[in-house]
Amino acid sequence: MPVKIIIPGSLKRWFDGETEYSCQGERILDCIDRLEERFPGVKGHLIDPKGNISNVLIFLNGDNLRILDGLSTTVKDGDEISIIPLAASG
Amino acid sequence: MIQDNPESKFIFIFHPKILIGKKYTVRNGQEMTNGEVLQYWGKWIVLGEKSWLDKVAIKLDPLVESKEIPVIKYDREPSVNLGIDECVMMVYCDRRDRDRIWQILSRFGVKLKAWVTEKETMEMWLPGGLLLERWIASKDFDEFTQNAVREDAQARIGYLFDHPDEIFVPWEQ
Repeated sequence: MPVKIIIPGSLKRWFDGETEYSCQGERILDCIDRLEERFPGVKGHLIDPKGNISNVLIFLNGDNLRILDGLSTTVKDGDEISIIPLAASG
Repeated sequence: MIQDNPESKFIFIFHPKILIGKKYTVRNGQEMTNGEVLQYWGKWIVLGEKSWLDKVAIKLDPLVESKEIPVIKYDREPSVNLGIDECVMMVYCDRRDRDRIWQILSRFGVKLKAWVTEKETMEMWLPGGLLLERWIASKDFDEFTQNAVREDAQARIGYLFDHPDEIFVPWEQ
């Protein structure tokens, strides 16, 4: 069972209008690379040139990656990754 | 009850006793301190069209009335100046209750699963924080006003960090 990525309407313009996408990967960064292959340019919206998460917050099963291992956080089958615009966080 | 005051940026859902001074940041009958709020308080973020959030709000209102959910607020309109074209609903609760609250939200069709701590939000609204600086940049403030906004943020939010043992007092919004 792959990892599911859930995308809010506010960001679907980066994902060709999709609001859910499934992919395989060992780490969050692998999943983002898969996203980049499917939706070219999306990685630049999510990660800055220094490799830090920018413009968005990314959650694994509800927990912010900032309190996990960031983009190196490992994922397993059935996990859910949610992405929200940074400004929606409070 | 749902409080929909057109003068407010937000629509609120809270227990009527809030109107007579009762707090929603209460745990086991004790009002939470600033330090406890920073440690435990947070919210599930729900994003969607205003019309859908209105429907979700009607479903959640009875659960706020029965005190299963402490308090909820959501946008009257999207914060387009911050790059969001949906409305944001924040379903607040203690981290120790968040899984139970999530089960409720998922029953009502919420898929996006995003828990944001109040501490993290407040840090982003301190001077130099991502959200405060982006908000300032989205406004046409002169330098004097920019600095006044930062000083106000430091005074209000910094107070919580500097006085962890005081009882938390929510801000008027």
